[in-house]
Amino acid sequence: MNSVALEASGVRAALGNGSQATEILHGIDLRLPAGRWTSIVGPNGAGKSTLLRVLAGLLPCSGDVLLQGQRIGALTARERARRLAWLGQNESAADDLSVHDVAMLGRLPHQPWLASPSAADRSAVEQALRATQAWEWRDRLLGRLSGGERQRVLLARALAVRADVLLMDEPLANLDPPHQADWLALVRGLAGSGKTVVSVLHEISLALHADELVVVDAGRVVHQGACADPATHRALEHVFGGRIAVRALDGQWVALPN
Amino acid sequence: MREVVLNAEGAKISQRTQRKHPKVFSASSAHPPRPLRSIIRWLTVASLAAALNAHALTITDDRGINVTLEKSPQRIVSLLPSLTETVCELGQCGRLVGVDRYSNFPQQVRTLPQVGGGIDPNIEAVVALRPDVVLMATSSRGAQRLEALGLKVVAMEPKTAADARRVMGKLGQLLEVPDAGRIWRAIDAGVSAAAQSLPARAKNTTVYYEVSTGGYAAGTTSFIGELMQRLGLKNIVAGELGPFPRINPEYVVRADPAIIMVGSRNALGLEQRPGWAGMRAVREKRVCVFTADESDVLVRPGPRMAEAARLMVRCVTEKAP
Amino acid sequence: MSARRGIALGLVLLLAAGSALLVGAGVGSTGFSSVLNARQDPIAWQIVWDIRLPRTLGAWMAGALLGLAGAVAQGLFRNPLADPYLLGSASGAALGVGLALALFGASPFATQWLVRLGLTGAAFVGAVGGVLLTLALANGVLHTLRLLLAGVIVGVVLGAARDLVTLAVPDILQAMQAFMLGSTGFVGWTACGVMAAVLVPMLAIAWALGRMLDGLALGESTASSLGVPLAAMRAALVAVLALSTGAAVAQTGLIAFVGLAAPHLVRSIAPVTHGRLVVLSALMGGLLLMVADVLARWIIAPQELPVGVLTAVLGGSYLLWLMHKRSARGGML
Repeated sequence: MNSVALEASGVRAALGNGSQATEILHGIDLRLPAGRWTSIVGPNGAGKSTLLRVLAGLLPCSGDVLLQGQRIGALTARERARRLAWLGQNESAADDLSVHDVAMLGRLPHQPWLASPSAADRSAVEQALRATQAWEWRDRLLGRLSGGERQRVLLARALAVRADVLLMDEPLANLDPPHQADWLALVRGLAGSGKTVVSVLHEISLALHADELVVVDAGRVVHQGACADPATHRALEHVFGGRIAVRALDGQWVALPN
Repeated sequence: MREVVLNAEGAKISQRTQRKHPKVFSASSAHPPRPLRSIIRWLTVASLAAALNAHALTITDDRGINVTLEKSPQRIVSLLPSLTETVCELGQCGRLVGVDRYSNFPQQVRTLPQVGGGIDPNIEAVVALRPDVVLMATSSRGAQRLEALGLKVVAMEPKTAADARRVMGKLGQLLEVPDAGRIWRAIDAGVSAAAQSLPARAKNTTVYYEVSTGGYAAGTTSFIGELMQRLGLKNIVAGELGPFPRINPEYVVRADPAIIMVGSRNALGLEQRPGWAGMRAVREKRVCVFTADESDVLVRPGPRMAEAARLMVRCVTEKAP
Repeated sequence: MSARRGIALGLVLLLAAGSALLVGAGVGSTGFSSVLNARQDPIAWQIVWDIRLPRTLGAWMAGALLGLAGAVAQGLFRNPLADPYLLGSASGAALGVGLALALFGASPFATQWLVRLGLTGAAFVGAVGGVLLTLALANGVLHTLRLLLAGVIVGVVLGAARDLVTLAVPDILQAMQAFMLGSTGFVGWTACGVMAAVLVPMLAIAWALGRMLDGLALGESTASSLGVPLAAMRAALVAVLALSTGAAVAQTGLIAFVGLAAPHLVRSIAPVTHGRLVVLSALMGGLLLMVADVLARWIIAPQELPVGVLTAVLGGSYLLWLMHKRSARGGML
């Protein structure tokens, strides 16, 4: 197995159409190692979400994106969906589906078109729901849940895919600190078991728990390095114009506003 | 010498003019030769068959469909007021078993069962009346449904005087009313009489007729327009605009008609229309307001044409400058 | 639990439809006596078997088509206010009927073809044509918002074209009005057959795409990441929408509210996944229109009320009661 889970070379991407298209990413070269948790950070408007979408194959771009060594465009949609799971910012309108139904949707890439869920599907869903502490209310409707509870269900949906690569865009929205801690433990567990996790987080202190940090500014990768590396901290402070300071606290790195 | 072919009952069926052997085939000949006897028998049978078939009626309605009936219909449902009026004008009111809710003339049809509107007939009610034929407008969907249920439908929709005449002819044929043309000529004569009774000073008066179906004017090709022409009145609406154009009120003000004719529903607020208060017809109160019944007569192209003409003449005589 | 509710609802709807069908056979301008005399009197038999039964059944089928189309529209556009007439099908059908009425008698050739096509055919062609125009304007099915916008534009433009036609030939105004109001009165066994031939495959396709619609409900990017073939799915669903709506409108004119209300009614009783929602919406829509048709014939017999008024009253009152119940309980509508 390739030790590079995701690779981008010479990637340029634009948003908008026709004459109003503005280029967001100006030539990204990136190699994300497998079995690690990488966090993408940067100031607002830097292009973090765009980068993540491009890596997920959801946004067209010029240049190459390679998933486990293969061009992402060369894979069929289902094959890509089996290898790469995506958790985007919440745009769900699935209020009438039960929690279990929503999590089961994560098994779509594995299910033949009209087949009913198999035992493997059911066990994957149960595992995912237990991992996010949502199993007790698997029969409740999504529309009846609070924001944080809904986020955990959507996370379970992404986990149910059992993909090798998991990309998450602002996965901590609406989650209270205990559940943020749960999420951290979950992601650490995933990375430990060989899965690749890439997250975009605007909570820098939480992002600093990752293995690696990719610092993005104005559509370019400014720095890629280990979270423990002081060079990474300097890059981080620089990108935010010196408005944050990275300090150690109780064995963890935190970013304090300056 | 003419040969008269007789059927079994001795009734005269057809006449053929004989070119050959005039003496041999005279009607007074008592003993024709043998081979000719069989020929005569064959001819008699053929004529009998032709006589029976002659009672099968075929009418081509306005959709271009040939409708064949075994005999003249005795139970008729009419779903168009002008067709109802024509049937009654032909003296066959007694054959009507059902009408639409808008048929209101003559008085006796008001007692007949009403089977919905012309455009939206109550299919069940029509079928329950067991009609031999259903008369309706061409623009109704019900025709297909009724035909699918096995009823005979004749679809006609008179829009001009010529249409009304043609419809009367077809209905006369369908109802086997002899000489429907005579009835039409009488109506026509009534219109001419009305035209003549118009005083000379009223000839060529400019007229504007507003039909009450939502502010449309009667153009020259409409039924009302044709009447106006026959009466010698000038319609301010130009010919190219079609039968019921929606006229810009400014046009009317510019044309400044001597007389305005309008249905009672439209008469409200005539003076309030911008610019209209200044028109001489409005100022000098030369506005004919027709009641709903009178409007019916004027708008329907049917046998009451003469009465329509008389209504117009009365209006112009009263109101002409 | 929700699945069981869904099944129970489906059975209830079918049973109710069966009863309404029986009642519908006994109701009409000639009353129940036609049923009693059906054995002896061939006309009474014709009334019950050839007029009332196909009309009642046809009302169910048209309602089912509209309910199905409504559920598909709401799932496709992820908008609870979507109805089957969104993509220009209603205005296309109206324009088709208007042109057919106007051109009738214009030339023998036109008349001959129009008699063959019938107003039914003209309405269907118009409806499908309207949707095709919307697709052309939106440049395909890729962008939902563009599709919606194109649908609105086409609706307005074709409506204006229809107005121009009625202006040019004002004689057709009454017939146009009758079509716009909608009526189940002209539905016979052939029409039932045609609607059934459209309903069954469209229902099957929509049900088969149910899981993908569920995925779409999570958001476009999520659905895409799950490998859902968005463009193909949308194209298929738009086709289902166009054909179902076209078939219903061709037979019964423009009956409002059934397509909009049926999915809401189902969801208020038994929230289910899209696959089941589509089927249950069809059953609900069918029952709604069928009951409306029966009541339309019954309430002021021997006269008839327009069926569109009754669908609005029935569906609307239930939704109003639902709203009242929810706001009384507190919280958001």
